[in-house]
Amino acid sequence: MVAPTSPQPSALGPQHTDTVIKVSSFVKRYKKNVAVDGIDLEVRHGEIYGLIGPDGAGKSSLMKAIAGVLTYDEGTVNVFGILVDSERAAERVKQWIGFLPQGLGLNLYPDLSVEENIDFFARLRLVPERDLLERKTRLLAMTRLDKFRDRAMKHLSGGMKQKLGLICTLIHEPKLAILDEPTTGVDPVSRRDFWAILAELLQEKGMTALVSTAYMDEAARFHRLSFVSNGKELASGTPAEVRALVPGSMVTFEAAPQLDALARLKRTYRQVEALGPRLHVFTESTDAEQAMSDIATALNGLAPSNVRVDEPELEDVFVALLLRQVEHQEADGALSVSAMNRDHDGPAIEAKGLIRDFGSFRAVDHVSFRVQPGEIFGLLGANGAGKTTVIKMLTGIIPPTGGEGRVAGADMKIAGNAIKERIGYMSQAFSLYLDLTVVENIWLFAGIYGLDSRATEERLQWIVAMAGLHGYESNLTGRLPMGVRQRLALGCALVHRPRVLFLDEPTSGVDPIGRRRFWDILSRLAREEEVSILVTTHYMTEAEHCDHLALMYAGRIVAEGSPSDMKSQVEQEAGRLLEIETDIPGRALRRLKEAGFSEAALYGTKIHLLSRHHVQDEARLRTVLSSDGMGVKAVGGRPLSLEDVFVHRVMTLEQQEAATKRGAGV
Amino acid sequence: MSLKRVATVASKEWREMVRDRMFVLLAFLLPVLWMLVFGYGLVLDVEKIPFVVVDRDHSSLSRDYLYRFTTSRYFDFKGSLVGEAEADDWLESGKARAVIVVPEKFEERLVAGQPAAVQTLIDGTFPLRTDITKGYVIAINGAFSADLLSDHVARMQGVSRARAEILAHPIKLEIRYLYNEEVRSSWSTIPALVMFSLMLAPPLLTALGIVREKESGSIYNIYSATVGKVEYLAGKLAPYVAVSFVNAVVLWLLATLWFGVPFKGNVGLFLISALLFVLTSTGIGLLVSIMVSTQIAALIVTMVISILPTILFSGLIVPVSSLSPGAWIQAHFFPGMYFTNIVRGTFLKGVGLDVLWPDVLALALYAAALRLVGYRLFTKRPRS
Repeated sequence: MVAPTSPQPSALGPQHTDTVIKVSSFVKRYKKNVAVDGIDLEVRHGEIYGLIGPDGAGKSSLMKAIAGVLTYDEGTVNVFGILVDSERAAERVKQWIGFLPQGLGLNLYPDLSVEENIDFFARLRLVPERDLLERKTRLLAMTRLDKFRDRAMKHLSGGMKQKLGLICTLIHEPKLAILDEPTTGVDPVSRRDFWAILAELLQEKGMTALVSTAYMDEAARFHRLSFVSNGKELASGTPAEVRALVPGSMVTFEAAPQLDALARLKRTYRQVEALGPRLHVFTESTDAEQAMSDIATALNGLAPSNVRVDEPELEDVFVALLLRQVEHQEADGALSVSAMNRDHDGPAIEAKGLIRDFGSFRAVDHVSFRVQPGEIFGLLGANGAGKTTVIKMLTGIIPPTGGEGRVAGADMKIAGNAIKERIGYMSQAFSLYLDLTVVENIWLFAGIYGLDSRATEERLQWIVAMAGLHGYESNLTGRLPMGVRQRLALGCALVHRPRVLFLDEPTSGVDPIGRRRFWDILSRLAREEEVSILVTTHYMTEAEHCDHLALMYAGRIVAEGSPSDMKSQVEQEAGRLLEIETDIPGRALRRLKEAGFSEAALYGTKIHLLSRHHVQDEARLRTVLSSDGMGVKAVGGRPLSLEDVFVHRVMTLEQQEAATKRGAGV
Repeated sequence: MSLKRVATVASKEWREMVRDRMFVLLAFLLPVLWMLVFGYGLVLDVEKIPFVVVDRDHSSLSRDYLYRFTTSRYFDFKGSLVGEAEADDWLESGKARAVIVVPEKFEERLVAGQPAAVQTLIDGTFPLRTDITKGYVIAINGAFSADLLSDHVARMQGVSRARAEILAHPIKLEIRYLYNEEVRSSWSTIPALVMFSLMLAPPLLTALGIVREKESGSIYNIYSATVGKVEYLAGKLAPYVAVSFVNAVVLWLLATLWFGVPFKGNVGLFLISALLFVLTSTGIGLLVSIMVSTQIAALIVTMVISILPTILFSGLIVPVSSLSPGAWIQAHFFPGMYFTNIVRGTFLKGVGLDVLWPDVLALALYAAALRLVGYRLFTKRPRS
């Protein structure tokens, strides 16, 4: 190894301290807006520290200030024992830091190839050419990007861009990696892959990492974390410590009629959700018996069935913490049942063997499904799986190459514009006019659909009540919080009383409370007004709200069913999820992989693996690990999440595909 | 300072530039296009003025008088009308810009030694053209009167025609036009257009190139890396300076070979000044990029701060020396004026550094000062 010939004294390395980052009373203002309001943070050597919070919580400002690329107004930021308070001081710490800014692949150079991007980052840091070659080869192989060395970055998929971003950030082997929302906008498979690679690299090089995320379900992957909202820290510590802040339990059960049960529960409980046919309630009681009897009282006569009591997930804890912060909850607008145009029976949406080719590429391959009136149907899949193309065919934006799509009883190929009056569509980008007020936006959409002034006034009242927009009527749309904006977009999509609603990733960038509220409205729309809803989403926790799911892969539907069906299918095929706690998770993981548990993956400080014969497997892995002198603290089963289902399905298909290709190649 | 880092930044920038087809088009086509459009469009010569005549006299002298207009290269004879009423149509429709009315008894009065009035109607919608047309009419009319006078003197004195001319006009004015011998306005505007193109394109490209990084967020790669400000700015600007310098050479070739403007001066001096000017104008782009954060803002700001002063105060159309005192002072603040002096000096006058050194020095100071200010303002740890 050639030592860098940099004459800077700092090339000797930072002073060895256990504390890598120490931030106290940090305040950052943008003009009059306070982005971060007094946050303390301490990150220790070798840990993956998580900053969790919704968009606009202040995570990016804090991370940029630590990376020395943003000034701050009050408090202190110490990195490797150096007080970062000037450009000069910031320059001193930058040599040990790798910073990945927010935005998937946005910091990369689209016209440069994968290799050129890596070379640029390395040479900018004066990485010796020999080291560069060695590291590049290894990292490209590890991320399976080696086949795409010469491909221009702009032609990579989202997951590949993200991995390339990681390589570029770590190519100079920094001691501290600061990664700002590296997993946002990436599908679950790529996300899991990313965490595995990151964990391995950090372990191997003894790096420390500060990582932010807006996905609450990723919180358990961190050694320690801070939960941030509105510029303030609501909780911090290890996942277990944070969980202990809000003692309670999650009770899941079915009760009919669901709407009545929901209304009764809401009088007592603040966290109540409808997940398909099930109800999901957070109670502050930790005792299962006690929790159940409380709920039975609240239900006031309706009998719960299929009851399950679990420990709360971190996301439930965060929502509870957020609800504490927002003391008074906005009153839910009562949804007056307005008769929707019912002019036909049978399925609301029906796809029969839909095909769509783009040139020689088949984007959608014989897709068939049905959505019943009043059903919430979730279409899942990685980027490029064909979800958006299916929606575009069903809404009549593009014609199908083959097959048939019927929406509200009409054939999309020939229905033309008339059918568009029966469909509502809301995209990720919220097609609202930001310089118009809330009411003006509703008027505009009413005008586009040709509503007369009486109907417009009536719908306006309905939308304001439904979306909880009271008090916001004359606000400019651009100044609304994301959650409110999203509900306005939903209202605008419903202005003409459509019977079928298409939602394309409707909840990107909305905080967890906002997301829960949005789903609350959706389930009431479906239950009370019998609107059929087709939704695509990246948030697997959201998919739990759907009545029916279809998973797309490479243009085909590869799995279908209710969320619990999908989970039990995977449990039957691949076994239960085991969670293993050990003293030295990194070494244990390597040992387990060598011993044949190839699917084992690091999940925070724990190891997850799917096991078909869990009794034998548990015994075997205990022997494997203890023979190597590692203590096994605990092995336990965990319920599968939809993310586990998604990842398992897609990984299996990818492996099959690779195997067929290899077979064909020989 | 590490040259390797400068080279890394420059080579990355260069690759991005040449792979972006739109950018290549913009970078190389825009200056040439401007040169061609303005080179043909910005011609200030007034020639071939369409005119009609009303001859009420129909005498040999009236025909002789009008003949002088029809044969002039400055006028374009469109026809003979019967009455003035018809002339209105011609002027209103713009088919004629001038009408010359020769009155009845034109010859009779002249021969009798009485004054005759020739009425001239000139379209006054565009004052510059009107003035020039008036000048031509006065000149031709004057020449005709002078000939009449010479004839008269010859007859009265009984001397030869040549002798009479000397007696009638003892002082003869001899004008030799220097530098632009044929007084073609294109010879004067086209070298200035080299300045115009180099003042507009490089700042635009530079500002867009840097702001693009701000907009996408890739500027954070630079902020968070150990690359120094000088290293980054030098590497980042180098490709833009190179492209702009190539453009300077292309524009020079276009001016001399395509438009046929003579180049009398020292090519080396021209190229060195062009390089200094390009360093100046890319420096303006750098400053703009530091002030704004979106590409559209960069576009507008660059256009506003470079187009207006370049057209108004750099001697492109109106010579700096004939500007009002206030404008004259303003003109000295914009680098365009100095380079205009250099291009006109090297193209038309063929003068060297001995005359142009103040202008070259001014450009060098601009280039250096803009970079210094850019370096001071650029920060790797911004406020937002």
